[in-house]
Amino acid sequence: MITPVLPQSESSDPFIRWDWIWGHLDLVWEKVAEHLVLTGIALGVGLSIALLLSALALRWRMTYAPITWITGIAYSIPSLALFAFLVPITGFTILTAEIGLVSYTLLILVRNIVAGIDGVDPAVREAALGMGYTGRRLFFQIELPLALPVIIAGLRIAGVTTIGLVTVTALIGQGGVGFFILRGLNRFFSTEIVLGTLLSVILAVALDLALLGVERVLTPWSKHRGATT
Amino acid sequence: MSPPMIRLSHVSKTFPGQGSPAVGDLSFDIAEGEIVVLVGPSGCGKTTTLKMINRLVEATSGTIEVAGTNITTVEPPALRQGIGYVIQRIGLFPHRTIGENIGTVPSLLGWDRERIRDRVAELIDLVGLEQAMQSRYPAELSGGQQQRVGVARALAADPPVLLMDEPFGAVDPVVRGRLQEELLDLQQRLHKTIVFVTHDIDEAIKLGDRVAILNVGGVLEQYAAPMEILSAPANPFVEEFLGEDRSLKRLSLTPIRSVELAPGPIVAPTATRADVDRTMKEHRVDWVGIGTEDTVHGWVWGRDVTDTAAAADPQPFSVRLTPDHSLREALDSVVSSHTGVAVVFDGDTYLGMLSIEQISRHLVE
Repeated sequence: MITPVLPQSESSDPFIRWDWIWGHLDLVWEKVAEHLVLTGIALGVGLSIALLLSALALRWRMTYAPITWITGIAYSIPSLALFAFLVPITGFTILTAEIGLVSYTLLILVRNIVAGIDGVDPAVREAALGMGYTGRRLFFQIELPLALPVIIAGLRIAGVTTIGLVTVTALIGQGGVGFFILRGLNRFFSTEIVLGTLLSVILAVALDLALLGVERVLTPWSKHRGATT
Repeated sequence: MSPPMIRLSHVSKTFPGQGSPAVGDLSFDIAEGEIVVLVGPSGCGKTTTLKMINRLVEATSGTIEVAGTNITTVEPPALRQGIGYVIQRIGLFPHRTIGENIGTVPSLLGWDRERIRDRVAELIDLVGLEQAMQSRYPAELSGGQQQRVGVARALAADPPVLLMDEPFGAVDPVVRGRLQEELLDLQQRLHKTIVFVTHDIDEAIKLGDRVAILNVGGVLEQYAAPMEILSAPANPFVEEFLGEDRSLKRLSLTPIRSVELAPGPIVAPTATRADVDRTMKEHRVDWVGIGTEDTVHGWVWGRDVTDTAAAADPQPFSVRLTPDHSLREALDSVVSSHTGVAVVFDGDTYLGMLSIEQISRHLVE
């Protein structure tokens, strides 16, 4: 067995150096905030694009298959590879990060929006039309609110995925708390690796709970909350 | 006669990709304020016909007029806001409260908030729900309550015409019976023009002022009042559709008040065994009723009378009918009672009784 010889930078330290963390709280908050901004933009832009794509797919059914192929291909590209391809074009920018992050949310969101609208009870739709609802009013006042539990379920999955993916964008100079993981790896400094990982997990759980709370507030009528598809 | 509220002239509907029409050349009129029931086997186009009236289905040819206006000249949303619509699966909006559900059409019509609130409260009373239910969500209500909300919602903007597509098809028979009674009660007060679709001939007979019996392909086999259809079916199809118990169905349409009642074997409380025997022989029964002036207290077996009739511990009649009950209910009472008669009271006043012979005389007529 060959035992790898570790560089002697800070590796003789204990597994977690709390004093290092206390000494760098400003940096921690900065990276957490950056992480949340990257995630928020990705989900916001992703949801907007997904709503447009879903409206397209619902209006013209034949577009649904191509839309899921394209977003499905985007979803299946390894994130590392995607960022590597994008850097020569868009550089080490937030734009590069968001192109990747947004494209990973689309498949999940489009599928859940379409499934949510499709899941609206046909009797509700018939009653609404029979009372004189028109297409647009029907969509925004009846179908979309009723699809909310399924849409938010999709948003929760997309949200947790995005929190994880943001750490990867550390490789292109973004990354939120991924910054600590990357620098920790480079310096063999376990405190930073653990810190970055834990923060990422905490953010994912917090976002998931926050979205669950949003769902409860928005759908007080729903008996079966947060059913995922 | 006033012009019809709804008029169908040579209406047909062929769905795309189907060879034969769902409805072919259908014409009939519906008068203002009447309940017309469309009934027939599946595939007879009854629901299609109903949906053509509010343009949820567009007729392939022919014209439909509502209140004298050709419906193709009205935009579908405006047309539908003026026609109440109730469907079997109700279709309440799960994300809106009962109050909001009932106020749907008024708010689409742009009524102000207070007017909607007052109207909703009025309708909650009208269909027999509690005001406290207004803030509940549909999922918290029973099926029967939900359908009452469905009816209230259809009535909200006070439309002259109500379309009802098997509205009571999904509730259990007891609740269905109650909802049917309530609909008839409502109609007494509101005088809407109602088009009602069902596959249940008994429901059609019970609710319809007139019944349209449709055959596969939207062929109108007979269109008449229930009694007329039952006594004179137009053709073998109608006869078969009405079923073997056509005569019994006629009984259910005949109220007791329309037939003559027999006084029956009634004796005074002081009657002796000899009086009782004479009365029983005369009526060919083995019991007597005991009555004073205009009421009857109960009955006894003749063999139990030793002293006077009243001393023989008379028992009350288990079922007391009123003149509003039907001969069908009288028949039920006859076959389920010890005495073999149906006794009829108006409040406490004894009106008389019906025997199976009297009832069967109506069957053969």
